[in-house]
Amino acid sequence: MKGLFTGRIIRTQRLSPLSHLIVFERPRGFPDAAPGQFVSLRITSTITPLLRRPFSIMDLTGTELHLLVKVVGKGSDILAHSPCGAEIDIAGPFGGTVFPSPEKKDAVFVAGGTGLAPMIFAARTWKRDRSLGRADLVYGAGCEEELLVSLCGEDFTAVHSATIDGSCGFEGDAVALLEKLVEEGKAGGGILYSCGPTGMVRAMAGRAAARFSRHLTSLESVMACGVGACRGCTVPVKTDGGTVLRTICSDGTVFDASEIDWERWEE
Amino acid sequence: MSRHSLETKIGAVTLRNPVLLASGPAGYGLEYEGLLDLERIGGVVTKTISFEPREGNPGTRLHETGGGLLNSIGLENVGAEVFFSEKMPALVDAGIKPVVSLAAEDWEDYRMLLDATAGTVGVDIIELNLSCPNVERGGMAVGTNPELLAKYVRHAKDTLPGMTVLAKLTPNVGDIAALALAAEEAGADGITAINTVVGMDIDLAARRPVFKRIRAGLSGPAVMPIALDAVWRISRTVDIPVVGVGGITSIADAMKFFMAGAAAIQVGTAVFYDPALPERIVETLEETGIPGPLGDCSRMKGAG
Repeated sequence: MKGLFTGRIIRTQRLSPLSHLIVFERPRGFPDAAPGQFVSLRITSTITPLLRRPFSIMDLTGTELHLLVKVVGKGSDILAHSPCGAEIDIAGPFGGTVFPSPEKKDAVFVAGGTGLAPMIFAARTWKRDRSLGRADLVYGAGCEEELLVSLCGEDFTAVHSATIDGSCGFEGDAVALLEKLVEEGKAGGGILYSCGPTGMVRAMAGRAAARFSRHLTSLESVMACGVGACRGCTVPVKTDGGTVLRTICSDGTVFDASEIDWERWEE
Repeated sequence: MSRHSLETKIGAVTLRNPVLLASGPAGYGLEYEGLLDLERIGGVVTKTISFEPREGNPGTRLHETGGGLLNSIGLENVGAEVFFSEKMPALVDAGIKPVVSLAAEDWEDYRMLLDATAGTVGVDIIELNLSCPNVERGGMAVGTNPELLAKYVRHAKDTLPGMTVLAKLTPNVGDIAALALAAEEAGADGITAINTVVGMDIDLAARRPVFKRIRAGLSGPAVMPIALDAVWRISRTVDIPVVGVGGITSIADAMKFFMAGAAAIQVGTAVFYDPALPERIVETLEETGIPGPLGDCSRMKGAG
């Protein structure tokens, strides 16, 4: 059951010029969470920034809660530079749907930017409960500096990296790299898990994903309530009777990408 | 220390206390289970219900601004049938007092909505949202015209005998107190002030407005002084209770609304970032009592 908690930062690590690992002591009574769920942080008690900021859970152990924070604005900047010992208001865990495990079969994970966080949580969770077969990560970032391979090297069987500027690994984005791997027969068949900018997921859903049994994605959005009340983060989902709007925060974050009505979705 | 009773009478309804969740952010009430104790507050003003389900607006729906939040949700809701058969009974079962917010696209739509409401057991207080800035038809177009506003209020009072009717007003007018007076004369039992303030923002990199509809509704602390002023002026113009809403972010803000003349308050945007605020306001009021309104301030230093 979701709730309000106070989390104390016990460790931070600057991973790149913009990306930071923030580790909280797991708050007393904080419920168990599953891959695809998120927490919502009130970063300051002032009115700037006003809203909470949502962050995918990157790991949750008996004692620690890990978040991956990329500085994109004022809220993430304050959080990324909060000192050890700082206490932050954490609401959650939120998200009504989670990634199902591949049940010991092979899986491919595609991550763009901070979409890496739930992919790591999935791989770690399923390694712990031994429900993961071979795990390939296809991971894209803008440039080598922002490629956080050191964070997840041990979580996957292989990491296939792409950078937009070609400074490391494949030159291009994660979707183009995935397509190349599929063409070469190096990926395909099992479940495809993804998280990243909506444009990335949209591009995959049309092409590369056809070669997998399912494509499950954790969607990202600006959010206000985090619990499905405000209807601010809706996505059109196809049903038997037509299209219905679902909230990313509480009907998601995990959706079957083939069920999303991409044509109707205007972000 | 003895606790103050906070029972608040509006029209024919007695609320256990004068602290409500505002329409919109409150959803259908139960979404916040675990984050706030809904049984502690006076009631939940539900998401605005229309006769038919509404999809709401496409494109960006939320955009944070300095101390505020622009929204263009567009009254997405499940429609009257599902609301009255599923959402409202769940609220009542959970011990929560529902204040049902209603909106219509036109007169015929409005009549059907009120007929649906009339046939529903357990609704004794409604809030007419005739002031939403985010819809093409039926929102601000009605709520900015005193004659139309009066016509809608009068019809609600005629169709729903014994129903307590609140009229929620828009601040996007020259004289909100004149609208309040029109609603009172038409039989409204109370005035809710204010709805969101019209605003816009521009996506600098994309060189286009943030919202597809361009204009959106601003809420949050940025609008609090506008709301407080509206409550002050309305409460000096009408004799019916005023429900103050707009940017309440702290216990102190809530106290100011009571001093400005509000009989009750609603917390909206703050629930997003501080869901425990309504409970804290209730706790404080139990200790201190509800602050009385300021008297005639015309002779106060600084008045003028």
